[in-house]
Amino acid sequence: MTESLRQRFLDICRFKRTGDLCLLAPWLNDFWMETPDVWVRQGAPAELADPRTIRSYFEFDHIRVLREIQTGLFMDKRLDVLGRNYVYAIPPILPTYETRMLGEDEHTLSLVNEGGQVVRIDKRDPQKMPMYLDHPVKDRATWQEYKKRLDPSTPERFPADLPAYAARMNAKEEPLLLNVGSFFGFLREWMGLEPFLYALHDDPALIEDMMDTLCHLETVCITEALKHMRVDAAMFWEDMAFKTGPLISPKMFRRFMMPRYKVITDLLRSNGVDIIFVDSDGALNQLIPLWMESGINFFWPLECAAGNDAVALRKQYGKDAILGGNIDKRALLKSKDIIREEVMSKVPYLLETGGYFPSVDHFVPPDVPFENYVYLINTLREVAGLPPLKPFSRR
Amino acid sequence: MAWNRTELANAVQNGDDDEAVKMVKDALAEGVPALEILDEALVPGIQQLGELFKDGEVFLPEVLIACRAMDKGVAELKPYLTAGEMHKKGKVIIGTVEGDLHDIGKNIVRLMLECAGFDVVDLGVDVPATAFVNAVKEHCPDILAMSALLTITMTNMPEVIESLEKAGLRDRVRVMIGGAPITREYADQIGAEGFAEDCASAVQEAERLKAA
Repeated sequence: MTESLRQRFLDICRFKRTGDLCLLAPWLNDFWMETPDVWVRQGAPAELADPRTIRSYFEFDHIRVLREIQTGLFMDKRLDVLGRNYVYAIPPILPTYETRMLGEDEHTLSLVNEGGQVVRIDKRDPQKMPMYLDHPVKDRATWQEYKKRLDPSTPERFPADLPAYAARMNAKEEPLLLNVGSFFGFLREWMGLEPFLYALHDDPALIEDMMDTLCHLETVCITEALKHMRVDAAMFWEDMAFKTGPLISPKMFRRFMMPRYKVITDLLRSNGVDIIFVDSDGALNQLIPLWMESGINFFWPLECAAGNDAVALRKQYGKDAILGGNIDKRALLKSKDIIREEVMSKVPYLLETGGYFPSVDHFVPPDVPFENYVYLINTLREVAGLPPLKPFSRR
Repeated sequence: MAWNRTELANAVQNGDDDEAVKMVKDALAEGVPALEILDEALVPGIQQLGELFKDGEVFLPEVLIACRAMDKGVAELKPYLTAGEMHKKGKVIIGTVEGDLHDIGKNIVRLMLECAGFDVVDLGVDVPATAFVNAVKEHCPDILAMSALLTITMTNMPEVIESLEKAGLRDRVRVMIGGAPITREYADQIGAEGFAEDCASAVQEAERLKAA
């Protein structure tokens, strides 16, 4: 009897299943918005422009993100800009802000988005990351207003018919992933990075209040979600490191973030959710032990340009760490020999030792040629003893 | 009362702006020359912090508040200093390349260069090659520093260097690059003289280029 994807996922995470190529999507194996369109122009099948088709084309394994539960950040906000979409994510505020245009010039448009951020978008390419001009939280007064939008009892936090939704989700054979928030990323989103970093020093009580508010939101919602449905994994989003290390010190992490993480991870683990994932770009070596101490055990994307090394992490942490990513996107810009060398330098070992979900070390950018990405996937399949992808027309 | 260089340097490092400003004012009132206060306390304080940042002992929040304390201390000295005394390390043009809107790394580098005594002209983000060239023409910098955070935007860096060559300006300025996907190999490949691994090492690299 074929194992369900859910069981494969759990067994890989718990190191009970090795050698299995599980290309999780969305999130781990995903693309910049414009990448599929660029690939179609390079001759890829036109159907790839549809996100669902691209996942079946590459035979990705679908993880069901419980995005209908408003506890996290999802790339689900859209604004039509001259026929193209500005797609973005915001913290789980309810209600969201009303979008408001502020002005435009020849090439750009300024607006307030649903997150209350003032952004300037490039009209020629609205999918490009915008410039952030202002953020909704600046001080205690603006925080008191903003925090009203983080009330866990807001009805829209959950689907209208929660039991029916839960029944549908529970019946799925895919793993279910609950987004459980953020203690760095969200604050950065609503304050702006530099004001947030200053506030850690200038007004720590304000930062503590923000984090406590988030902790309360998440614990109430997690408790409610767990009453109704199984949750196989939970996820934090942070983006709190750059090329050479974390944006804040371990001391600040311990003071501000760790106690709140522990409240959430203890709640999850006491309810059988022991696969807890964090998404953070940048160099993670100093953060991983802190996250592990906080109860988090799954790390992605492990960007190579920031010096992350999944093989070294496996050797250091053994079965205490589940790893994802770490396939160097820069290698995909080069020759097939280099791509193969990149894969062979790490993936066979990581699959053999278990607890690893391969992916490029972040979303695949549009400068990666389609044929190189196909070559990557087929090389991964070869490592796992699978045949290459069949041409789309023959499926 | 003799002013205490070490205590003032420590106030800067600890980001204690009130104390730094008070100590600068006290030193000025004692008749200590402004340039001495700058060179023997404020600058060493921030330089030492830069070393701690490079060594991973302090992090961005500490750097930001130290630079703020430095700025406030320097503001007290400004009326007593010439522009040459304030910016004797040299002049730098900095910007994030065209198509790229990331600015935090660039902003920190700017802050640290200014604290180290460089005069920095910040062109912002999404800066086309022509704007870099025009800025070099206008400001005659010692160094042009470019930042890129994406593999799809770093490819605009060679275009800037080519544009400088076409404009006959290439030999007037040293080019330094940095950002997440940037490597020393890439800097060598495109003909940039300098490469900063991170914002912590950017000051040292700028000083090396200025001295070369």
